[in-house]
Amino acid sequence: MRKLLSNIAYYFKGEGWRNYRKSFRYAFYVILHPFDGFWDLTHEKRGSMGVAHTIVILTVLTHLWDRRFTNFMLNNTQWSKFSIWLNVLGILVPLIIWVAANWGITTLFDGKGRFKDIYMGTAYALTPYPMIGLPMIFLSNVVTKEEGVFYTYFNTFALVWAAFLVLCAVLMIHDYSLLKGIVVVLASIVGMAVIMFVVLLFFSLISDAVMYFVAIYKEILYRIG
Amino acid sequence: MKTTAKRAIVLLMMLSLLLSSLSTAMADDDDWYTYTYSYWGDEMASPNAYAVTNVIYAKDVDPELGSFSNPTSIFTIDDHVFICDTNNNRIVELIKKDGKYELVREIYTVEVSTLLADAMTFSGHVDPTLYNPTDIFVKKTTDKERAEHYGEYKGDPYVYPDVPETKTDDTKTDDTKTDETAAPEDKGEEKSDETAADDSATATSEGDEDGENGENGENGENGENGENGENGENSDGEGDNGEPSTPPPERKENIIKQKLDCDYDIFIADKQHHRVIHCDYDLNVISVIRDPKDDTLGKDFIFRPEHIVNDNAHRTYVQAEGVVNGLMEFDSQGEFTGYVGAAKVVISFFQRLWRKLQTKEQKNRSEQYVPTEYNNLSLDSRGFIYATISALDDQDIYAGVATPIRKLNSMGSDILIRNGSHFPMGDVKWGNITSTASGASKFVDVIAFENDTYCCLDKTRGKIFAYDFQGNLLYAFGNIGYSRGRFTRVTSMDNLDEETILVLDGMRGCITEFSMTSYGKMINEALDLYKKGYYDESAKVWKEILQYNGNFELAYVGIGRALLRQGEYKEAMKYFKNAHDSENYSKAFRHYREEVVEKYILYAVIALAVLIIVPKVIRKIRRLRKEIKEA
Repeated sequence: MRKLLSNIAYYFKGEGWRNYRKSFRYAFYVILHPFDGFWDLTHEKRGSMGVAHTIVILTVLTHLWDRRFTNFMLNNTQWSKFSIWLNVLGILVPLIIWVAANWGITTLFDGKGRFKDIYMGTAYALTPYPMIGLPMIFLSNVVTKEEGVFYTYFNTFALVWAAFLVLCAVLMIHDYSLLKGIVVVLASIVGMAVIMFVVLLFFSLISDAVMYFVAIYKEILYRIG
Repeated sequence: MKTTAKRAIVLLMMLSLLLSSLSTAMADDDDWYTYTYSYWGDEMASPNAYAVTNVIYAKDVDPELGSFSNPTSIFTIDDHVFICDTNNNRIVELIKKDGKYELVREIYTVEVSTLLADAMTFSGHVDPTLYNPTDIFVKKTTDKERAEHYGEYKGDPYVYPDVPETKTDDTKTDDTKTDETAAPEDKGEEKSDETAADDSATATSEGDEDGENGENGENGENGENGENGENGENSDGEGDNGEPSTPPPERKENIIKQKLDCDYDIFIADKQHHRVIHCDYDLNVISVIRDPKDDTLGKDFIFRPEHIVNDNAHRTYVQAEGVVNGLMEFDSQGEFTGYVGAAKVVISFFQRLWRKLQTKEQKNRSEQYVPTEYNNLSLDSRGFIYATISALDDQDIYAGVATPIRKLNSMGSDILIRNGSHFPMGDVKWGNITSTASGASKFVDVIAFENDTYCCLDKTRGKIFAYDFQGNLLYAFGNIGYSRGRFTRVTSMDNLDEETILVLDGMRGCITEFSMTSYGKMINEALDLYKKGYYDESAKVWKEILQYNGNFELAYVGIGRALLRQGEYKEAMKYFKNAHDSENYSKAFRHYREEVVEKYILYAVIALAVLIIVPKVIRKIRRLRKEIKEA
């Protein structure tokens, strides 16, 4: 607890806070100059994990606020079936699996980036989503349905931009050529599917095993009792 | 330490959770009798719009009526109810008097004059009997109109050979009093099978002619009937539900209990005699539609009319078995003039792709993608045809590509308005209502009311779905079962008046009479007022409806519309939001936004002016002062 407080204190005064703000501002440089930006992000250590976490949290919050506060004309959320955890995990879990899958693949294909670097790069690449998404939530509340195409258009643009940035991040962090980068991205997506399959299989087997012991326990109880 | 960080994150998320006020889930009970569907496709309980007021069995109306055997169609006009008792080869006419149904007559044969003997001739014999009649259509007309369009039809009665003349006279004149003994005799023969009927027919004098008819005229056709019956089952899956068609009918006397005088024209789809008979109320044949000739029909085409309507221009539209090109249209002369409303072939992308990959042999062997055939039709008061299609792919219905209900104009194009949150397709959720039924609703009949609402009869779950003129589901009710208000196998329905509907159960052979409740009447009233343009009055009724049914989204839209017209934009937005009507919400919002902007634009301009001009002025004044000082 004390360490955390000192961490926070570190961030909020002097050097740390200045560095944080600097690397946060750097995110805007990265999204406009992706090739240059992502190279320096890891190789020149201009990014920081704190900012990466912040962007991920902002992304999650933007998504939630988008569901909650976007005008109902453009918002097809059925609240009776809405689960906040499903929405949060719907972003975090694919993100983590993506980083893991990409790390796994790039380790095999002599990528230069570490796990941390991939996470940081991906997080920085997500910047356009909250950046455009948050103003769009406000905008959605002052437009009619016909004008709402702008909302959809800009949000789609943000996603496309972010996807492009992720590709750039992979290229620069691992020092890949374009073709190799695309292949690695596709392989990572396949890898994500494999990971999800294995995890599901694992949990299913574990639950079966647990059920087995539970059954034995019950049986023994029955016999003794 | 990290856990604390995590806790902080969780706290932040919970803040988000608090911000999003979750609405509570609606009760997910699916055992409602009457219900509607919400915007999200959930069933919402609704007060009963119709209540069962009577269940009518044939034997209750008249003990001599026996029971209905696979009745396939019911038609009402004024107080008259016509029932096609298909497997008994008769049409039963009832009349509702003082809330009770009375038997008017049983129709087994029609009266043929010498003028129309040719048209009624099969293989050299005039056959006036009905053989598995599947539909009847009755409309009001006058002698003048008849003469105009059909010319003279009342000639001398046709004299049947081999029958004593007095016999035919009997059928003409002594219709009112028939022999009581004839009825049981007929019943006995009904039960016997085909060959036995032919053999035993020689026993009675009456049977003589029938025997000949059977030998000469019908034998060939019977063979075909058997084949085609199977075909029908294969292609459609509904057919006559595997029940064998009855043997060709004996020539029976019509049993007339009440002699009424009405100006009606009657059209009978005499299915197994391959003709549509058009006669007046006294059953004198006016014209006959048979043997349509067209290149599209093929050589071995046999005309099997199943359902018919006749519009104000005296065109007859026929839905015939195995005809996939649409409804057959005939002019008043009985000439085939073409098809109307051919249903589009729905081919999915994958089917098309698969088709591309197939070889020629495979293509020939695999099933052809033919347009689906209609299975029923009815005429509304404006002359539009409502038609139903049941042989549709569930997935196409779900995707909204297929159209189980269509409203055809005279050009044959589908003009049904589908503005509801769901397409008029019956049940939106398919799995959980009754465990026995699954899949999309399959409509077997449709009726249109004066106010352009229409009801569809679903045989999958024995349900009736009512839609308004915009295609919004008003209410759905009914179910499979044996209790009152439930059905085993629905075949047809019609409305006795605007507030009473009769539903025919083909398996139990009974008619269920539904009468509209005050709730249903209120909905109709609100719709009528809205259509006439009395929006405020209609809103009042909608508000009353909300008292009964707070789940009814259409009511919110109705009130919202009235508020929108009154200029209560903010309030209107609330109501539209409740009904998930984003189109109207957007309209209201546009006005509301204008209002807000107009209201505050002055302040905004002033504020802007203050921010920009005032500093400038101050600066100028300062400069001036300075200059003055210096000077």
